[in-house]
Amino acid sequence: MDTTTEGLEREHVRHVFRAMLMSRVLENKLGSLYKAGRIVGGVYLGKGQEAVSASLASCLQKGRDVYAPLIRDQAGRTAFGEEIIDCTRTYLGSVDGPMRGRDGNIHRGRPAEGMPAMISHLGAAISLVSGMLLAKRLRGDMEGVVGATCVGDGCTSTGAFHEGLNSAAVENLPLVLTVANNQYAYSTPNSSQFVCHDLVDKAAGYGVQGHSVDGTDMLACIAVMQEAVDRARAGEGPQLVVASMLRLTGHGEHDDGSYVNAGLKSSELGRDSLEVGKSQMIEHGFSDAAEIEEWKKQDEEAVQQAVAISQKESEPDPYQDDWLAYSNPDLQNR
Amino acid sequence: MPKVPILMPQLGESIAEATIIRLNIAVGESVVPDQEVIEVETNKATMGVTALCAGEVVEIVADEGVSYAVGSVLGMLEVTQDELDRTGEKSMDEIGMTAVGASQASADDDEESNLHFKTEDGGYHEPVLVEPNVKGLPVPTGKGGAHYISPRMRARMAELGLRAADISAISGSGAGGRVTVEDLESFLQYISSWPHTKASPMRLAVADAMRRSWTRPLATVARPLVMDKILDHRRSQAPKPGPALYILRALALALAENPTTAGYLIGESIVHPRAFDIGVAVQVDDGVLVPIIRNADTKTLSELVEDYNRLVDLARSRKLPEDATQHGIATVTNFGTFGLTWGTPIPLPNETLILGLSAGVKRPVWSEQTGTFIPVTEAEIDLTFDHRVVDGGGAGMLLNRISELLQKPESL
Amino acid sequence: MSDVTYIDAIHAALDDALENDPRVFLYGQDIGKFGGAFKATKGLQEKYPGRVLDAPISEDAMAGMAIGAAIEGARPVLEMQFADFSSVAFNQIVNQAATHFYRTGVPIPLTMRLPSGGTPGSGPFHSQSMESLYAHYPGLVVVTPATVADAYSMLMESIEMDDPVVYCEHKFLYRWLKSSSYESDHLPIGKARVTRSGKHATVVTYSAMVHEAVRAAEMLQTEGGWEIEVVDLRSVKPMDTDTIIASVARTGRLLAVGEAFPWGGVTAEVVSRVCADGFHLLDAPPVRLNARDTPIPYHPKLWATHRPTPESIAESLRKLLNY
Repeated sequence: MDTTTEGLEREHVRHVFRAMLMSRVLENKLGSLYKAGRIVGGVYLGKGQEAVSASLASCLQKGRDVYAPLIRDQAGRTAFGEEIIDCTRTYLGSVDGPMRGRDGNIHRGRPAEGMPAMISHLGAAISLVSGMLLAKRLRGDMEGVVGATCVGDGCTSTGAFHEGLNSAAVENLPLVLTVANNQYAYSTPNSSQFVCHDLVDKAAGYGVQGHSVDGTDMLACIAVMQEAVDRARAGEGPQLVVASMLRLTGHGEHDDGSYVNAGLKSSELGRDSLEVGKSQMIEHGFSDAAEIEEWKKQDEEAVQQAVAISQKESEPDPYQDDWLAYSNPDLQNR
Repeated sequence: MPKVPILMPQLGESIAEATIIRLNIAVGESVVPDQEVIEVETNKATMGVTALCAGEVVEIVADEGVSYAVGSVLGMLEVTQDELDRTGEKSMDEIGMTAVGASQASADDDEESNLHFKTEDGGYHEPVLVEPNVKGLPVPTGKGGAHYISPRMRARMAELGLRAADISAISGSGAGGRVTVEDLESFLQYISSWPHTKASPMRLAVADAMRRSWTRPLATVARPLVMDKILDHRRSQAPKPGPALYILRALALALAENPTTAGYLIGESIVHPRAFDIGVAVQVDDGVLVPIIRNADTKTLSELVEDYNRLVDLARSRKLPEDATQHGIATVTNFGTFGLTWGTPIPLPNETLILGLSAGVKRPVWSEQTGTFIPVTEAEIDLTFDHRVVDGGGAGMLLNRISELLQKPESL
Repeated sequence: MSDVTYIDAIHAALDDALENDPRVFLYGQDIGKFGGAFKATKGLQEKYPGRVLDAPISEDAMAGMAIGAAIEGARPVLEMQFADFSSVAFNQIVNQAATHFYRTGVPIPLTMRLPSGGTPGSGPFHSQSMESLYAHYPGLVVVTPATVADAYSMLMESIEMDDPVVYCEHKFLYRWLKSSSYESDHLPIGKARVTRSGKHATVVTYSAMVHEAVRAAEMLQTEGGWEIEVVDLRSVKPMDTDTIIASVARTGRLLAVGEAFPWGGVTAEVVSRVCADGFHLLDAPPVRLNARDTPIPYHPKLWATHRPTPESIAESLRKLLNY
């Protein structure tokens, strides 16, 4: 492996890998819960994208920065500092979770802690994160702050992507917009999504800096994300990072992804970033096989505990509602 | 040991059922957490069904090649309480489930979808009633009249205690001549200067009964009745039966021969009499009471006299027990006592028939036997009936039969 | 104070809100130095540097930015240049802003100003009334001020409110409507006002149609002594059902008038509520009067008959009164 480790901090790399590993363990359990009929609605996993997701979020600081994860960002959520019980509670509909059963699966967040809850409409978070940054600037709280979000290749076709990135550029906001190009938007391949040579070419059109990275290469991802985040933090405006890899699952657990091109699976893009990361950890002395195995056991135990707690908690009561929105006065008067 | 179900998962947003391709487990085998125990196929994909805790397979109720609805129980594991606690899984008892096969799949699907609404003791939440935040006038329940009455008009009439018949005096100024609220208010204003008295409860009760009865298509037919034999027979009796009792007894006998004539129409059914209990109208102060003579078809005239006299006395003294006026099937009324020679009485709202008897009048009738006019006492009997149930022919046959029976009073 | 117009009241409210609360900022196209397409923000950028921001022509991103800023505790006031263009931002408003508090418990104190309604010659894409569309979505407050005083007080209240508010300001009223002051009776959002009392029929309406309904009521007063009650909804969501029902209880007849298209919408909601809660109060079938069911025409003659007018409102009332 020819990846350089120059400039990478040991603790940073270990943090990224641990988030990737935890994400994989947690997502395996989510898949299992789904296939046992315990999760209502969909389960959407980020297998293969852990390196991109975790490396971006690992460059951010919770409490100061903004991170808006999307559908395949469990690793990023963990790296940013989301508790895994937020995930299991939301998937299992616990009333004690951050969404209290009102929203489910990956549609969760803690906006007051700098992590907005995604909506299903692609690209909507780009301008949302920009607005959060704008507000920080207006109140003089912008120094050294970065906002980041991740989208997929399909999102680059939306109007929201265009409007959002352009508006962020106009305001010169410290936004890191990562495109995880996993080759498919549900079943639609890149060839039906866009015809530009490389998505990173779009950066020039918006007047923002562009970065490309092999999304299966953990160390490369960490290096590129760190550079992009540093540049945004330094006031160089929006950064567009395009990371390429293959989605190693279906769109959701209901989808076996049978349409994925076999050639892609056996190509470099089809490598599992977690496996690559594990080799890199051992090869460069960031960890060893025994420690990684021990981490995995700890993670499995932690995940099982979170699932057990969430399963035992109450479901929401449909006959009680405390939504005190002004537009809903009938409820207020009750 | 607790049992945990293996469930058919929801394998996609639009998936209702899936087919079992292969069972990877058998009864008696052990499973480990996250093990794929069954392979299933939907029209979209092939998937594994997992078990979530370690345990022993104690039952498999699903067959390969068969489709099961989402949420169906496919099998059961026996697991330790410790394992349940560790994984947060719930036992069959805790979720209130039983194993089902494919034939019950859809019913079980409904059950499953209701799980969220179950209370802890296995019942269902009662929906909380929302108090309306706007309270208006009481919504009236009046009966429809022949012309349009708006919701507001109905509400105002209910407030004033008025019925559709009460506003018949008003000529409407609204569209199509309908009576508007303004018309009503000005009419009430106009009559407020006329002298008023309070209607008695008796008067209001009769009014209510007659108004309800009048909602039906009522018709009246009549025929003469020669009274001489009745009068002769009456003179020989002690105590003397009243003339109304003769026609009451004759009516009961005639109806017993042909009960349908006294049937009551409800929807698409004719309700037949259970017993031939016939009322008799008794004029009292400011109204009419109708005591009922029970089983008038099975008792002779002389047996009925005592009942009859007692009830009429009780009615006149307003001491009739409530049950003495209930559940009759027809009524007789002797308006002849007022010297009247014909009438169109109105049956009670719960009866189809009323038979009236007029005053007897002496008439010269030509006798073929003697070749002379001879004096005969003749009255008229008038039968009012609900034309939905009885036609003119049926009513006439009933009157003729009554007349015939009354010509042999000794056999009554 | 000399005459103040409806647009003056909006300008004054924006000025006062910026003055009173440092969290308030304005965002929209051409609102900075240019002062906005209707001059609602004239001079405010100079007065409040850095708080009146020009946006690119990106309604979706504008709304998304404002929502993001609101999550952070700012109180953005978003100007859509015309209500019609808010359709481009529809996703952000109804899916992001409207659901946010319900989903996450974090409120979105966003005010979105929609220059609404028709003016002569504006045509299909600069004349729309969008209030019914937004009112359909749980989580949004939708207000439709009809007076100079309400334009001021309801905009102030919208900005102070923690819920996202769609503030529909009527372009026809901008300069046509004048008042001696924008001091208000402090009626809160969610309360309707009986603009004119009467006993023979109730007209429930809002925004510019309040003025057309009052003219129609005056015509019928002269014509036959009819006393028509006019109820100004002020906010279409929440809708003040109590005031509507109380008025229909007095009159027994209901005409609901709106400038929006006739299929569904605010007037249908009014009729539905009166039928459900006040059926026994009705002396005639409730009537609705809306714009015609065609796109909004350009030519002033076509436009003038496309939307309800005092004449067409009066004609509807005559039929209602003669029922």
